[in-house]
Amino acid sequence: MTDAHKQPDFLLDMSGEPCPYPVVAMLEAMQALEGGQVLEVLADCPQSINSIPGDAQRAGYRVLKVEQQGPSIRYWIER
Amino acid sequence: MSWAEFRQACLVRFWTPLPAVIAAGVLSALYFGLTGTFWAVTGEFTRWGGELLQVFGLHPETWGYFRIIGLEGTPLTRVDGVMVLGMFAGSLASALWASNVKLRLPRRKRRIVQALVGGAIAGFGARLAMGCNLAAFFTGIPQFSLHAWFFALSTLVGSYFGTRVALLPALRADVKLVRAPASGASAALRAAPAHWQFRVGVLVFCVAVAAALGLASSAMKLGLAALFGLAFGILIERAQICFTSAFRDMWITGRTTMARAIVLGMAASAIGIFSYVQLGVAPKILWAGPNAIIGGVLFGFGIVVAGGCETGWMYRSMEGQVHYWFVGIGNIAGATVLAALWDRIGPPLATSWPKVNLLETFGPLGGLALTYAGLALGFALLLWWEKAFVARRSRAPAYAESKEALR
Repeated sequence: MTDAHKQPDFLLDMSGEPCPYPVVAMLEAMQALEGGQVLEVLADCPQSINSIPGDAQRAGYRVLKVEQQGPSIRYWIER
Repeated sequence: MSWAEFRQACLVRFWTPLPAVIAAGVLSALYFGLTGTFWAVTGEFTRWGGELLQVFGLHPETWGYFRIIGLEGTPLTRVDGVMVLGMFAGSLASALWASNVKLRLPRRKRRIVQALVGGAIAGFGARLAMGCNLAAFFTGIPQFSLHAWFFALSTLVGSYFGTRVALLPALRADVKLVRAPASGASAALRAAPAHWQFRVGVLVFCVAVAAALGLASSAMKLGLAALFGLAFGILIERAQICFTSAFRDMWITGRTTMARAIVLGMAASAIGIFSYVQLGVAPKILWAGPNAIIGGVLFGFGIVVAGGCETGWMYRSMEGQVHYWFVGIGNIAGATVLAALWDRIGPPLATSWPKVNLLETFGPLGGLALTYAGLALGFALLLWWEKAFVARRSRAPAYAESKEALR
């Protein structure tokens, strides 16, 4: 799920926030983006792995990247 | 598959919830067959509360509640006790394998209040209903006890109100967008993961297995319970099995993936329990009274406010999520308060009501058929709900109000 050409335009750092707040904030934040723009969400709530990608897709966004590195997970989501 | 590939695929990457929940369902049926009890944790937490009170010179062993659930021995001599310790060890080991242990401090103080209050309400409700999502839901429905159905439905109702509270503006996270750094990779991710954690995780796992085997050589049931606990702990952490999200996500985004996985896990468990019951093992049937309904509503409300249920806080506290240490403290406190009040509220709300075993009321086949029909109906309703939710949102964006929140 990697799109090498795209780079994130905005960063939303949700480190330290427990679920469901990362996914709720992601969905709110995506509203502020324009079509084609990419949001990087940084979360350290492990359970977001089960919520952010699925809910982003269901809301009609494209998930470009899910990268898990130790306790941090980053998601690239394109509006 | 090389070792490095195996490690990445199985020990670092999170597992898909569905197979893990089904495995938990099968294991819990085997656990019942081997130990005669169900996979449950809150009873043990309540005993910890009782033992703490004993340290302070009180005599909770005279309370009716502890006469029901027992307060003999220590966590190391009780089946539930070693199972819970095994779960903690399994969660810790599996979080360490993925270098996923980090002290995650709450961003705001109000999260601590949220964790304590939600945890206490959930602990109180769970014990009022004689068990949390495990005893009164995930393994209660496959035990063919009617109270588990009451509990499941009322938890659903409670979780709706819990979601309303958890999403109040005062509790929402600040949505602050910043321009992404040009390099792309954020600072937190440029830091290499802590590889030492993996080795510590292997050590924790080996010590836990050795301790369980040692225990099994003197007391087989206890050793097996510890091994099962270890497996349960690994499953829930690796797959991030979250009963709270199963209920909550339905209301927030309409996602029912976890809820459907849990229904299938119960379906896998039910036939296993059924076969043991046919062989003569006594199922655990509890009072189908108002206690299951009130307890369920309180539990559903509490877990969503707290952000995690009894099993959820167990593995998250091992991952270093400080928020869930407080959920755990709240849980034990709430459960202990319930135990203290039980002699007054237990008889009218619980013990004067019948224990309904569906396998007796409707006959073995009737009870089995009814349980599977109920699970199938639940699964179909979840599918329908998810579809309807997405369709409704595409007509009227549910996050329209958030535009103001961004400013």
